[in-house]
Amino acid sequence: MADSVSYFLMAWLDPSLLMLTAIGTLAGIYVGAIPGLSVTMATSILISFTFSWDVNDALALIVGIYTGGVYGGSRTAILLNIPGAPSSVATSFDGYPLAQKGEAGQAIGLSTVMSVIGGLIGVGVLASVAPFLSDMALKFAPRDYFLIAALGLLLVGSLAAESLSRGIFAAAMGAVIGLVGLDQVTADPRFTMGSMQLMGGIHYVVVMIGMFGVAEAFFQLHQLNAKPLRQKVDKIVPSLHLVLKFLPLSIRTSVIGVIVGALPGTGGDIASLFAYDHAKRSVKHPSRPFGKGAYEGLVAPETANNAAVGGAYVPMLTLGMPGDAVTAIIIGALVVHGLNPGPMLMIQAPHIFWFTVGNLVLANLFLLIFGLTGIKVFAKVVELPKAILIPLIMVLCVVGSYSLNSSMTEVYWMLGFGLLGYFMKIFRFQMGPVILGVILGPLMDKTYRQAMSSVGNDTGSFLLSLVTNPLSLVLTTAVVLLLLSNTPLKRLLQRRRQA
Amino acid sequence: MSNEPRLKAGERAFNVLLLLLSLGVLYEAYQIAGFDLPNSPGAFPILLGLIMIASMIAILWGQRQHPKPDTQGALDETRQFLHEHFPLAIVVFLAMAIAYLFLLEFLGFIPATAIFLFVAQVYLRHGRLLASLIITAVATGIIYALFKLLFQVYLP
Repeated sequence: MADSVSYFLMAWLDPSLLMLTAIGTLAGIYVGAIPGLSVTMATSILISFTFSWDVNDALALIVGIYTGGVYGGSRTAILLNIPGAPSSVATSFDGYPLAQKGEAGQAIGLSTVMSVIGGLIGVGVLASVAPFLSDMALKFAPRDYFLIAALGLLLVGSLAAESLSRGIFAAAMGAVIGLVGLDQVTADPRFTMGSMQLMGGIHYVVVMIGMFGVAEAFFQLHQLNAKPLRQKVDKIVPSLHLVLKFLPLSIRTSVIGVIVGALPGTGGDIASLFAYDHAKRSVKHPSRPFGKGAYEGLVAPETANNAAVGGAYVPMLTLGMPGDAVTAIIIGALVVHGLNPGPMLMIQAPHIFWFTVGNLVLANLFLLIFGLTGIKVFAKVVELPKAILIPLIMVLCVVGSYSLNSSMTEVYWMLGFGLLGYFMKIFRFQMGPVILGVILGPLMDKTYRQAMSSVGNDTGSFLLSLVTNPLSLVLTTAVVLLLLSNTPLKRLLQRRRQA
Repeated sequence: MSNEPRLKAGERAFNVLLLLLSLGVLYEAYQIAGFDLPNSPGAFPILLGLIMIASMIAILWGQRQHPKPDTQGALDETRQFLHEHFPLAIVVFLAMAIAYLFLLEFLGFIPATAIFLFVAQVYLRHGRLLASLIITAVATGIIYALFKLLFQVYLP
């Protein structure tokens, strides 16, 4: 217990960690707010620079950026009607109408306080649930990990993509990219096409920088001349009465946020849309009609997306499964530092868990401070012309991918993935399933082969084991239901019921 | 009149290319260990290849009733695709990005980055030479100081 407390307070008492968390949170707010920059892009570029750092320093900075970034998108959603991040799309539905009514300051203040409340509830759940889940996860068989990973890919495929087929294709393609190189067990080359350079595999950060950085930069070139409307911002700090009025709703939507965030593969973007939908259904008498400046429509997505941050850490720290794209990057950072995210992390490196929990609480407090101040400077920075921003993004992408192995090969790969990502975005394929596929593909390959070996390479016994163990049965049922819910069978049943 | 959304110019061709890519993945996966044991290094890749093919067929099958793009012939469709998704700004920026990568190998990080940032800004902002020059100098200096001195990473 004493150890846990000391690990929890590590970032609070060490001046350099304190400063890194503060810098990360402030930078995250700006990164999340500036349209064209995203938290995923920033963390994927940044991660390559922190490989040589101490693990605590790297985690402190990333936790700050993650927390600040998820919140930051709300500011531009309110002020400019441009969600700075996907998790703030729902915020703009009522945030911008509020700003048009001259209540931009109140909207920003309320979204800041609610984001902090959501963030702290998310961390609370992480601290209380993760140790138990971690103990449970020690009993999971390889087939269960395989099923959880498959469930995560199917979830992100069906929720993030336009159709499940597109999501599954993107995830499978990502998994193939993740498997390129020599097999870890037999050293057989896989998908190398005889190239020596591909023997070492394709670094997942290169894929991420290409698909989230370069592809987005190309996409932003379509909106070079878009001029945002400026809003007047007055009083920011919300009254206690206003905060207390929306507290019950924020607690409910925080729970939604944590649960959605904790599902492997789903993050703040999906959580905020679920929460907005919940608010619309459950609030009978909103302050104004939804879509026309209802405070409830602002509170719900903002609490949920920050609560999802704590939720996303749950599967990452207990199962080694990323809760979303950012935690997928953090998994990579932990592995580089010799740590093994998953159930053994709590035993081998408990300090990492409690350090992360303490750090997340700290980042939320910094969020409260930075969120309620400096709005005038902020308004100037977010109006940075895209013609300046896009070439800078390109340079940062080059630096980030080169620094992985000090090799130009990675830089060319990054540009190639950027172009592929641009084409995929044009034709409505999402990047999220590709990235999760890259991360989860090798894990699924490993656990599938372990599970198959454990039943003596007998396919029949393997399939039987998926339904004879209680946990595996639950997971298999979830996978099958998710698949069936996206087939014509569901529409057929609905039609029959209506008839 | 179909209620399905109209296909984008080039969408079907792109999906067919992805189907061919999926077939290539399956072929490459088979090359790893053939249809050997179920836990062979090629087993999961074969599964992935089959999943890619099945999902792409499902996508193409689902699109069979979508109205075709409002174009006349393949040439017109290609022209519309390029017009919509590769306007001059993107083509020029892509060319500048590729030139930047080549310049990095010949000139090194600082000169190549300064040239790229300056030229890209002048092009994208339609002039503004002095402002672009100042921003280029400040940005290159900050990036160099931040990454080389603070983060201590190797720059190209």
